[in-house]
Amino acid sequence: MEEQKTVLVTGAAGYWGHRVARRLASEVGTRVIALDAEEPAEEIEDIDFIQADVRNPLVAKLIETEGVEAVCHLAFRPDVRRSEAAFDLNVMGTMKVLGACAEAGVGKVVLKSSTAVYGARRSNSAFLREDRPLQGSRRYGYTRDWVEVEAFCNGFRHQAPDVELTILRFPGIIGPTADTPMTRFLGELSTPSLLGFDPMMQLIHEDDVVEALVHALGSDASGAFNVAAEDVLPLNKIRGLAGKPPLLILHPFAYWGAGFLRGAGLGLGSFMPIELDYLRYSWVGDLMRMQQELGFAPRHTAEEALREFAEIQRTRRFRLESTALGRGEQRMRDIIEQRRRAREQQASIETGSEEGYEDE
Amino acid sequence: MSSEETRIRCTAITKSGGQCRLYDIEGTEYCQIHEPVAVPAEPDVSEEEIRALQAELDELVLRVRALNTGYEPPSFSLRRLVRLVAESMRGMSESERLALLEPLRSALADVDMETLKGIWYMLNFTVQYQVDFVKRRFTGDYDTDEWGLDWEIVDLMRPFFTALYNTYWRVETTGVEQIPDEGRALLISNHSGQIPWDTVMVGTAVMNEHPAQRLVRGLYSDLFPSLPWFSHTVVKLGQALATEDNGVRLLEQDELVAVYPEGHKGIAKTYKDRYRLARFGRGGFVRLALKTGAPIIPVAVVGAEETYITLYNSTSVARVIGLPSFPITPIFPWLGLLGLVPLPSKWYIDFGQPIPTEDYGEESADNQVLVSQLSDQVRNTIQEMLMDRLAARRSLFFTSS
Repeated sequence: MEEQKTVLVTGAAGYWGHRVARRLASEVGTRVIALDAEEPAEEIEDIDFIQADVRNPLVAKLIETEGVEAVCHLAFRPDVRRSEAAFDLNVMGTMKVLGACAEAGVGKVVLKSSTAVYGARRSNSAFLREDRPLQGSRRYGYTRDWVEVEAFCNGFRHQAPDVELTILRFPGIIGPTADTPMTRFLGELSTPSLLGFDPMMQLIHEDDVVEALVHALGSDASGAFNVAAEDVLPLNKIRGLAGKPPLLILHPFAYWGAGFLRGAGLGLGSFMPIELDYLRYSWVGDLMRMQQELGFAPRHTAEEALREFAEIQRTRRFRLESTALGRGEQRMRDIIEQRRRAREQQASIETGSEEGYEDE
Repeated sequence: MSSEETRIRCTAITKSGGQCRLYDIEGTEYCQIHEPVAVPAEPDVSEEEIRALQAELDELVLRVRALNTGYEPPSFSLRRLVRLVAESMRGMSESERLALLEPLRSALADVDMETLKGIWYMLNFTVQYQVDFVKRRFTGDYDTDEWGLDWEIVDLMRPFFTALYNTYWRVETTGVEQIPDEGRALLISNHSGQIPWDTVMVGTAVMNEHPAQRLVRGLYSDLFPSLPWFSHTVVKLGQALATEDNGVRLLEQDELVAVYPEGHKGIAKTYKDRYRLARFGRGGFVRLALKTGAPIIPVAVVGAEETYITLYNSTSVARVIGLPSFPITPIFPWLGLLGLVPLPSKWYIDFGQPIPTEDYGEESADNQVLVSQLSDQVRNTIQEMLMDRLAARRSLFFTSS
């Protein structure tokens, strides 16, 4: 009889929490408890859903009584505009969850962060290693919150060395269903780029993000890891492959425009989902730790992901309820996979062979 | 006519179509009229080599077709194929053309129509590929390495740099063969001229004169990433920002890296300080070499100082504009941007003997004494090389020998 590993996934009603929870539920030997303040839009089978805010002080008690061994904390509000509410959930929420994990003696915690925390500066080396000081910009809400969370985690590692804290830093994420700053940048016609600048950039496919988080939960490695597709592409090429016509603005005007919009209180999020500096300088992460210590290899290259994205963009206006269909497709894929594994397991039990743990 | 040898008749066909009836010259199959223009009847290429070449051609065509299933060449005809081959060879010299045509002719002697059609496809595709250059930039159908090096851009800018090298500055290069054909090496050079043309010329010197045509990956200052157009062009030409991480990584990938330790101090020198080497920084370049065991090759560039006669360096104006220096020359800023045109001085680039660093070991990079010692050694070597060259130079603008 195998041991059941109990994993808690927070932010289960959000996109990443939902996908990670569903992916984990399909793993044999994993019991998933999903937590979120709101109910998820679709139900996930085989998952224990508990409606609670992560900032609730009794979360520690819940973790303890349920015997949670690993926590994947994905409760995060990636807003462009800085706000107290977002800060409270993102930073204070993470602090409270980590505190609860330390109190309850959880062995492993995995967080999702971004390579944006390094900051896009002209003095950046071509490949940034994880141990460099984090100088991410403070202007946009999500980068500011990630930098704050990572700063807290640094201290946390010293306070609670028994908790294996793994932070995965992802670059721009693209894919058929995800809604991220990068997909908004590449998907809209009105998001400008800077004339005369063409930095090298990394990307990662949404499926690989989910796989990486699941892989990290099961691995012994701890610390921060850059996780990205191995090919590094210039921004011009990314735009070309994604099928986005270039809207190039001379950089002084672009910065003035951004300043004006911000000053006037108009939303920057729709015009500049990615901060301008990140379209000007390089912020590419070195992948050696991901390859050697974490032992994770993304399945999609950036080029493949972009071509897939471009195809979907071209047919987007002809699709109805594209998101729901996309999710439905994803769910069907997982169900088919789950049933196939269950059949395999059944077959091996019947033949009396020893069933090892699932391999990816 | 001796009775021991058998005279045979010339095997050429005359203009009227009949067999030539003259006797051949000894040792060949042709008579004295036909011999000079005939291609040797005996190909040096064996049957297997011809077959191997044909097989390679077929495989190449299949691969190209597989990558670009959408492409349709114009309709095939042998005459058009021959014309296309002739056109493609237009830029080549006589000997290059013969060198290409001889083996191709023997290889194609027995080839089938399919391979010929394949060659037609490939030649047309290559032409179309080059014509589509701009279109492919817009659709993202081009490749760069992980640093951003784009060989098509290098090939595009190479003629311009070569023209500067050969015609404008008439650079004379010595010692370039001391650069290894492959494997890591670190070029250390003096830096001068208000604009870093010397980096371009050193790169062109190695690429044009070195037998292996190596690409020099120079490390540039952090002034470039914030300039539009320059920021991405230097990257596409294979250069990287001057940080220790970048230098170590490039050297570990066995690239040829160039560093200019004088930096802004060197480039902003006024005319009265010409050829006096500024301080070589804190020896960061020595640490690069020690960490990776790369040999240090000193380079002395003479002639770049005279591209701009800098009389004075206005630091206050520079600070206002945001540049590290603002040179005042007899023509800049008085003639505006025209004052930025460099003078056509005669350049000399001398590559010195490599200084090996392998035996010191990786940890020696932390040995500050060794680092200072090597840094001084390299600086003195370059200063001596400069002095030697300056002593022999009698004219600023014309050849001195």
